[in-house]
Amino acid sequence: MISTSGADFRRNEAHNRTLVAAFREKQEAARSGRPKRDLDRLAAQGKMTPRQRIEKLIDPGTPFLELSSLAANMAYDGEAPGAGSIVGIGVVSGREAIIRADDPTVKGGAWYPLTIKKIVRALDIAIENRLPLVHLCDSAGGFLPLQSELFPDRFMAGRIFRNQSILSKIGVKQLSLVFGHCTAGGAYIPALSDYSVIVRGTGAVFLGGPPLVKAATGEESSVEELGGADMHTSVSGTCDYPAATEDEAILIGREIVAQWDRPAKWPIQRETAEPPAYDPQELYGILPDDIKKQFDMREIIARIVDGSRFHEYQPNYGSTLVCGFANIWGFKVGIVANNGVLFNDSSLKGGHFIELCDQNNTPLVFLQNITGYMIGRDYERRGITKDGAKMIMAQSCARVPKFTVMCNGSFGAGNYGMCGRAFDARLLFAWPNHQIGVMGGDQAANTLVEVKANQMRRAGEAVDPATLARVRAETLAAYQEQTSAYYSTSELWDDGIIDPLDTRNALGIAISVSLNAPLGDKGYGVFRF
Amino acid sequence: MPLHLTLDGETHAIEIVRRKPRLVLEVDGRRYEVVEDVDQGVGSLVVDGARVAVARAVVEEGPRETCFVRIEGRTHEIGLIDPREETAGRDSSRDEIHAPMPGAVVTVHRRAGEAVARGETVVTIESMKLQTALAAPRDGVLAEVLKSAGDTFDKDAVLARLVPADGD
Repeated sequence: MISTSGADFRRNEAHNRTLVAAFREKQEAARSGRPKRDLDRLAAQGKMTPRQRIEKLIDPGTPFLELSSLAANMAYDGEAPGAGSIVGIGVVSGREAIIRADDPTVKGGAWYPLTIKKIVRALDIAIENRLPLVHLCDSAGGFLPLQSELFPDRFMAGRIFRNQSILSKIGVKQLSLVFGHCTAGGAYIPALSDYSVIVRGTGAVFLGGPPLVKAATGEESSVEELGGADMHTSVSGTCDYPAATEDEAILIGREIVAQWDRPAKWPIQRETAEPPAYDPQELYGILPDDIKKQFDMREIIARIVDGSRFHEYQPNYGSTLVCGFANIWGFKVGIVANNGVLFNDSSLKGGHFIELCDQNNTPLVFLQNITGYMIGRDYERRGITKDGAKMIMAQSCARVPKFTVMCNGSFGAGNYGMCGRAFDARLLFAWPNHQIGVMGGDQAANTLVEVKANQMRRAGEAVDPATLARVRAETLAAYQEQTSAYYSTSELWDDGIIDPLDTRNALGIAISVSLNAPLGDKGYGVFRF
Repeated sequence: MPLHLTLDGETHAIEIVRRKPRLVLEVDGRRYEVVEDVDQGVGSLVVDGARVAVARAVVEEGPRETCFVRIEGRTHEIGLIDPREETAGRDSSRDEIHAPMPGAVVTVHRRAGEAVARGETVVTIESMKLQTALAAPRDGVLAEVLKSAGDTFDKDAVLARLVPADGD
C-alpha cells in the first residue's frame, strides 16, 4: 500500500498538481481566450457565444462533459482553439445528447482539417452509442487555404454528411439550430437533420452565398432571399421552425427534444453508487514525476471505483496486468490495467479476462501505462507475438462497450492490446502526464543513429559523429513534442485530456450513454494457440 | 469471509453484514449497527444508538503502517491481518531476489549486512523503458547484493540474497 506522507508522495503530488494547473490554464485559454474584436463582432450581430448557447440548451444543474477541449492546440500556429468547434455530452430535456457547436469566435467558425476530424468523431460517437445529436450551426464553411486536407478523403468533410445519413437510418435523432450561416457543405447539416430551427435575420442556409452566386451566374440576391429563415420555413421546406431570437430557437429546440422517445438502455448490472473510500485527491501523489517510474495501478483503481472495492481476478498469475471487477457510479465494469511490461502470461490473462467480460455483458475499462510487450529471444521462442495477438483478437472482437484512460505511458504494441485509439473505445481520455509513441524518444534516436551509421558504412564513407549527433538531437526533439499529451489531443488521438480527479465522473457519463446501443452478437476470429 | 483485525494484540473477526442503508458489522459473532454522525463532524460514530467519539492516526515505519485509534480517552493499536500475507514475512523459502526480466540495475538501495523488512525496495532495475523496484520478499538481513548500478543481467538472475535476522 502506498504511503501518503512519504517524500516520494509529496514530490509526485507537487509535480502532478503543476501539470494539472498548466492543463487547466491551457483549457481556460482555449475556451474563453478570444480577441475582443471577435467577441464585439458577435455581440453587434446580437449573437451569443457558443458556450452561452450550450449553457442555455442543457438542463439547468446538469453536467456537460466536454470532449477534446484542446483539439488543434498545437496546430495552425494556435489560431484555432478547440479546433473552432465545441463538442460534449450533456442532458437536454431529460435526454442524454451529444452537442456539437461551431465556434464563430474562431475565424468565423471556419472548418479547419482538425475541425472536420472533431465533427466526424462527434458523429461517430453518436453512431456507436446511439446518442441523439444537437448541432449548433454558425460557420463560415471550410477553411479554403487548407481545402485539400479537409475535403476529398474518406474521413474528411463528406464523412460528416454520410454519418448524418447513417444516424437517421438507425433512428438516432438529430436537431440543428441554425444561428449563423450554413454555407456550401455546411448547408447539408440542417438539411440532413431530422429537425431544424433557424433564427430570423442571422441564420441562413445556402449551397452558395450571394458573392458566389453573383460570380457564377450574375444573379444578385440578398442573404434573406437566398437562404433566410422565412424563405426556408415557408417556401423551400429546408428548415422546419423559424425563431425570432437565439433564445427562442433554443426554447423550440428543447421542446423538440422533449418529444423524442427515450432510448431503451440495455440492463447492465447495477448497484447503488458510492464514492471511493480512498481520497481521489491522492491520485496526484501516486502518479510518478518520471514516466519511467513504476506505480501500482491498484492504487489508481482504489481512487476511481465505488467504495474502493476491487475484486481482482487471477491475482497471482501474469501479475504485470491487473484484471478485476468493480463498479463505477454503480455500473459494473471489468478493469484491465497495466502494472508493468506485458509478458506471455499477462497477455493470456488479459485475453481470457476480456472474454469473461464479453460473456457476462460487462463493459471494459482499460487503464493504460504500458511500455510494450516483452521483447527478446526467449520471449519470442515462447510465442510472445502470438500471445499478444490473442489479446488483441479478444479485445478487438469483444462486443461490450470499451473505455480507455491513458494514465501514463502508451508505447508500442501495448497500445493496441490495451484498446488504443484504433480499437474503437467508446471514449478515450488522457491524463496530462500521458505520453504516446511507437517507441520512446531514446529508443527511436538509438535506432535511427544505428541505421544512419550502417548507411554510411555501406556507402563506404567514414562514420561521421557530427551527423549522428544531429540525427539523435533531431529525433529526440521531434519525439519530445510528438509524444506529449498535448500533441496527442491536438491531433484528436483521444477524446480529450482530463484532470485525473474527473476520471470517475467522465467514465460514469461514458458508461451511461454507451448503454443506448444494443450489444451485438458474440464472436471472435481465429486465435493462434 | 471475515476480516481479521488485531486490537492491542488480540485478534478479532469482523464481517461486513451489509453496507446499505446502514453499515452492519458482526464482530466476534455480535452484530453492531454503525452510522457516521456527520452533524458532529469527522470522527463521530453512532454504534447501536450510542455516540462514540473516535480519533484515528496512522504511523509509518518503513513500508509498514500502524493504525492507532483513540476512543473515550484511551488509545488502542489496530492491525489488519492480510490472509494472503499472514505467513509470508518469515517465509525462508523466499531468500533470493530474482530478475523478473532481462535488464540493467539503476540503483542499489541497500548494502550487504543491512536488515530489511518485507516490501522494502532493495534494487531498482530498468528494462523495457520502465523502472521496476524489486522489494525484499521477506524480513531478514541482506547476505549479498550481486550486482552494482549499470550491471546488466538475464531473466531469473539472482540479484541479492537474504538470510534470517538474528533471533528469527
